[in-house]
Formats: sequence, C-alpha cells, structure tokens
Amino acid sequence: MEIATERAASPPTVGGVKVLGLHKSYGKHAVLHDVNLDMAEGEVVSIIGPSGAGKSTFLRCLNYLEVPTAGTITIGDTTVDAGARRPDRASLDRLRRVTGMVFQNFNLFPHLTVLENITLPQMKVLGRSREEANAVADSLLNRVGLAAKSDQHPSRLSGGQQQRIAIARALALSPKVMLFDEPTSALDPELGLEVLAVMRDLADEGMTMIVVTHEMHFARDVSDRVMVMADGRVLELGPSEQVMTAPTHERTKKFLRAVLDR
Amino acid sequence: MPFLDQWISWLPALSPGLGVSLTLTGLCLLFGMPFGLLLALILEGPVKPLRIAALVVVEVGRGAPALVLLYLLYFGLPEGGVTLSAFATGVISLSWTTGAYASELFRSGLAAVPAGQREAAVTSGLRGWSGFRYIILPQAIRISTPPLASLGVTIFQTSSLAFVIAVPELMSKAYALGSITFEYLSVFALTSVLYGSITLVALAFVRLAEQRLSRHL
Repeated sequence: MEIATERAASPPTVGGVKVLGLHKSYGKHAVLHDVNLDMAEGEVVSIIGPSGAGKSTFLRCLNYLEVPTAGTITIGDTTVDAGARRPDRASLDRLRRVTGMVFQNFNLFPHLTVLENITLPQMKVLGRSREEANAVADSLLNRVGLAAKSDQHPSRLSGGQQQRIAIARALALSPKVMLFDEPTSALDPELGLEVLAVMRDLADEGMTMIVVTHEMHFARDVSDRVMVMADGRVLELGPSEQVMTAPTHERTKKFLRAVLDR
Repeated sequence: MPFLDQWISWLPALSPGLGVSLTLTGLCLLFGMPFGLLLALILEGPVKPLRIAALVVVEVGRGAPALVLLYLLYFGLPEGGVTLSAFATGVISLSWTTGAYASELFRSGLAAVPAGQREAAVTSGLRGWSGFRYIILPQAIRISTPPLASLGVTIFQTSSLAFVIAVPELMSKAYALGSITFEYLSVFALTSVLYGSITLVALAFVRLAEQRLSRHL
C-alpha cells in the first residue's frame, strides 16, 4: 500500500492509535503508570523491556482483555474512556472489532480446522456467507503460505504454522490495528523467523501494528518506533534506530546490553 | 458344562429384564445428560436464584444415594398427588442422579478449557453466547465425554436398584427366577455375567471415544 513509504513522516491521523494517561492497578498495586502512545495509521511500534515491565498488560488493556483503571484509548474513530464506569458493550465491541490480537500461545481453536478457525468469526461476527468467508480465508492462507493446510486441525501444525494461522484469523476481520503479544516467544528461533517474515510483510503493506517482543532485530529493523518499558512506566519512546543504538535512559542501556550481548 | 445349558435355558426368562434395564438406562441418559448440562450452565450463569435452585437439585442428587431417591419419589410423588408407573418413577429418579453427576462433569469440562480460548474468542468478536456456543462448549463437551460415558456405564449398573420399586428390569427377573428354581447362586452368577459383559463392551467404546476425541485437543 502507498501509505508504507510515507508513514514515518505522516502526523497522527484518525486511522491511528491514541492512548492517554493509561493506568492500571490491581488493588493498591499499580502495574501501569501514565502510559501514553500516539501512533499514525500504518505505523509500527515495538514495545521492549524486561519481564514484569507491564508490556503485555498495556497491550491487553488496548482491547480490554485487561480493564485499565484510568485513561482513554482511541483506535480509529472509537474512543473508550476507562476513567468512567465500565464502558458499555457497544464501545467494547467496536474497540475489539478494530483490533486484531495475536497471542504468545497462538490460541487457535483446536476443535476446528484451519479453514474453520478463519471462517467462523467472519460468519458469526461480520455476517459473511460461507463462500465469502472461504474466499477471504483462502487468500489469507496464501498470504501466510499455508494454503495447503486448510483442512488440517491446528494440533497437526508446527508452532510457527499455528502462529501464522492465528495472524490470518485476526486479519480476516479486517482490523485497523494488529496487536502482537510476544508472538515468537513460544517458538524456537527458526520457526520464529517464518512468523517474523509474515509480520514484516504486513508492516510493509501498511498495517498499523503494536508488537510486544524480545526480538531486537525486528524492533530495530521493522518498527518505526520503539517503546521501552520498565516497572509499569514508559522509559523512552522514539525512532527505533535511535532507541536501539543510542538510548538516553540508563535503564534502557542496561536492558539492551543484557539482551544484545548474550 | 451343565451350568451353561442351564444358563442358556434361563436366557429367555431374563432377556426381557435386560431389555427393560437397557431402556431404563437409555432414557435416563437421554434426559439426564441434557439436564446435567442445563444445571451446569445455570450454576455457571449469572442468575442467583436459579443458581441456588440448581445447587439444591445437584447436591440432593449427588448427596442422596440413588436408592434413597428412588424410594423418595416412589412414595413421595403419590403423596403429592402424582401417580406414575414404577418405570416412569425409575426414569425420573435415575435421571436426577444422572443429571446431578453429569452437571459436575460438564462444569469441570468447562473449567478445563484454557483461558486463552476465551480470550481468543472475545478478540475474534465471539463474545457472550456465540463464543460459548461455538468455542467453549464444543471443547468442554469433548473434554467431558469420557467421564460422562463412564457415568453412563455406572448408571446402567445403578439401574438394577429400580428392582426395589418393582420395575421389571434384569435384577427383578433374576430374583423371580431364583425364587422358582432355588438356584440363586447360579442365577445371580449369570446376571452378573450379563451386567459385566455389557459394561465391559461399553467401557471399550468409551476408551475408543476417548482416543478419537482427544486427537485434536
């Protein structure tokens, strides 16, 4: 898509993501402090940081798998205000409709075939006919290179294949933003590469993506910006090259040394 | 082997009883399993008064021995102005027992579906009933099927208790035959062979089903 070439330069638009003052606490224990993020449509942001930093919690707040304590989330033209009472069903549905989620453990539906995994949500949620849903699924399976597996059950596939199917399942609902929660952490390095390749293609096509990851090469090479989190706070957020090679924060330097020098 | 000839000559007298036992069991599973699923759904559901009612039904059904429930309904229903045949009473009573135990098996099946499945359903837009119906329930039923099938076998054996309220099932036929021939030992040996062979065949099917169903989980 044409957006890809100019996305880094374009200002935040209606198609992007805007998170303001996001807080999350469990009782008295705060896990996210005032997290802000402003993304243009087509932008890719990687979130890195030590475990327990709140990266996944932040990501899961964006589609309300975790309920934030305060803050507002805007994705596309849908805004949800966490400060108010629990948002109504309709706004949550809209928020989830515009976000696609990819989990660390794939979470494919094991009782359905690969094809059914991709077609069932389309038919039940978007009301597409079986023919339409099949056509969408076929083209997505081609895109992730797994057209031959459509009649298999997920348990017969490798982890890398399952994760690619999971990406196809999420894309089938035409999300505006794709959320990736450590998509390669459960995979051995070789299988992780095939998943990263699919994600790289997706980024090149102009998909807006937020990726929680430990893949430092992906963070530096594919994402436009990198957000570093520790202890529930954003340490820094900037162009990937700059954050990865010349971080300003001491904690970031320490973290990057630990992951890059191994 | 003289006892074999004797057993074969007894089969015509016992087989109607076996038929009644199997019918009784079949009906109890037919009514009891859906009833158990319904109870499980209510117990997991949000409506508190219904939940309490279902809890009472389940705890009585599991707490009272099947024999006690049979007597309770057999003598209790007529007191309440409901007169049913012994067979119908047997079906209701054993369906209650079946439903009570089945509800716990369905609930543990539901609990065994990984949390990630619910999250994947919700993020795929399948929330509420459609997520439950298409994603959670089918997996829960697959997980619950082997123990439910074992429960079915247990209910078949428990159906012999219906003998006490004069349902003409296998046990009562065996008892009648014993009182005519006075060969109680031999009659009940044959009876246990009949119960046992059906049970073992059924359990073999359970194992087969177990393998098939766990293939994709």
